Amino acid sequence: MLSLILLEFRKLLGYRSVRLALVILFLLPWIWSFAPALDKVYGLVLTSMWQMPALSLLTVMQFILPLLVGMTAAELLGAEVSAGTLAPLLLRPLERYKALGAKYVVALLYPLVLLSVLLLSSLLAGARFGLGGFAGGTGFGEGGFIGLGFLEPLDALGQIVRSYFIAGATLAPIAALALMFSVIYMNTAAAALATIATLNILRLLIVFPWLEGWLLTSYLDAYVGTPATLLKALVILLLYTVAIMSVGLYIFEKKDL
Amino acid sequence: MGELSEREMSADSRNLICSPQSPTRVENFYKTLAHPICYPDPVSNIKAAHSSVATKDKQNANIVVQSLAKRYGKYTVLEQVNMVVEPGEVYALTGPNGAGKTTLIRCITGLVFPSEGEVFLKGHNVYTHGTAARSHLGAVVEAPAAFYRHLTGTENLEAHATMAAQAPGAKRVAKDRIREVLSLLEIHRMSDRKVAEYSLGQRQRLGVAAAILTDPDILILDEPTSGLDPLGIGLIHRILSSMAASGKSVILSTHHLREVAQYAHTVGILSGGRLVDQVDLNARQNAFKFQVDDPTRAAALLQSLPFVNRAYTRANHTIAHLESDFDVSNALSKLLNEGVRVMEVGPDLFDLYDYYRERVEQ
Repeated sequence: MLSLILLEFRKLLGYRSVRLALVILFLLPWIWSFAPALDKVYGLVLTSMWQMPALSLLTVMQFILPLLVGMTAAELLGAEVSAGTLAPLLLRPLERYKALGAKYVVALLYPLVLLSVLLLSSLLAGARFGLGGFAGGTGFGEGGFIGLGFLEPLDALGQIVRSYFIAGATLAPIAALALMFSVIYMNTAAAALATIATLNILRLLIVFPWLEGWLLTSYLDAYVGTPATLLKALVILLLYTVAIMSVGLYIFEKKDL
Repeated sequence: MGELSEREMSADSRNLICSPQSPTRVENFYKTLAHPICYPDPVSNIKAAHSSVATKDKQNANIVVQSLAKRYGKYTVLEQVNMVVEPGEVYALTGPNGAGKTTLIRCITGLVFPSEGEVFLKGHNVYTHGTAARSHLGAVVEAPAAFYRHLTGTENLEAHATMAAQAPGAKRVAKDRIREVLSLLEIHRMSDRKVAEYSLGQRQRLGVAAAILTDPDILILDEPTSGLDPLGIGLIHRILSSMAASGKSVILSTHHLREVAQYAHTVGILSGGRLVDQVDLNARQNAFKFQVDDPTRAAALLQSLPFVNRAYTRANHTIAHLESDFDVSNALSKLLNEGVRVMEVGPDLFDLYDYYRERVEQ
């Protein structure tokens, strides 16, 4: 299974959407770090390198990252279908659930790859604001960017890493959803579109208050949430991910290719 | 139960023991396995024609297709397809565009699930025991063969080797074997170049290289010579012929009838989703054409002889498939003794292309 996962990662690196995503996520923090109107739009004056990761994440999590993750997760299967390489894969003595399972593993880990690049680029872009402790907040802890006083670099790093991991968890069901739609439609664009449409519809469903606590989209900002709400958010995200993956695997087992 | 049970196989084997003396068994076989339109014409239909296609041993067969049907809603793509391919046999599948060849190949390889019927590869049900079944399989189901374009030819074959090693108890394909198949297909000099740089023909050769990588017992190829130059076509045919000679079973879909007729043992003609005929090219070697005054009566008389495997009429002639060419004089004597006027006797030189055209036009 490990060799299959490594093979999937190797294929992933060949996708244009991945290269595009890596370029975008590397450049965006640099653009924000030089943006002249941050204080007007976000009420933020950057005073430390440790504030850049939150700024970068907040700006991309709303739309760009879900889109990039959805596109690539859909491409994991859709690209194989369009290139005709899915059939040769399944002609080998390989269980279908293993073939798709390897893709799911890669799809779920892929957001962490993107977030790592975003984090690294954010720290590099923010380095000129200072690497040491500072009076303020990272944007992820209590008090937001204003903070609760002086923050040591290690504490800041801890908050950032924790929030980036949670962000990775919030993107996992989106990746699973895109791959599931890819199994259904056998097409990258249709699957990515269906993923974005589903997320938007789920966001609109907050008009039903009794549903809000169960909507996936209610937990996509869990990375800025409090520890009290975090556990429930992670459980819901996990349930969504497992349920979506199971549906995808079930459909794939029965699918004519 | 996924595997072909012993009881089932022995029962089928009993049905498969058919001879000219036991037409009931032959008829039973056609009722249970094949379908009536496998008979070449009304005369042989009545007289229960015998062919070695009908006598194939399912128990030892590498590929068994039973009552396969595939429907998409109301649209029927395949209907009641039955095939048996033995070790060492080359089975060429042909038919007009849209006849269902690709769907049949995808059903046999387990990529498409049939609406009815079963497929066994080396006795393993390809739908319920896919891993075991496909561990004996090498296949190319697209023309041209598809590969990861950003990887080199060698890297693509390494990826195939990785996937092939997923079978329980499978050994990893050695790098020497990868070099060997690349050399065999005469694309070794391209091996370190990305597949994106390959021509159509080179990709097709790489496809065959991937299919034979694990030295499988069963080889299934959908139009393997598509996009190849004449030398490439000859090379592929030589490789397939040699694999069959070493005991492998080969199914290939093709439109190159005259070329495959040189080495294929059986030709299945698919039309409108039905396997309308399975031509045993070996049996054709002892086929003789009798120009007589009453072809129908002559066919009936010849069919009653023990050394006549099959007799039927075609365009005012009687065609008889004999056990050997030494039986021609005996057949002739029988006809003359029964008062049939025989104007001419000669070998029935078989042109697969003409035969195909005739069958499909029917």
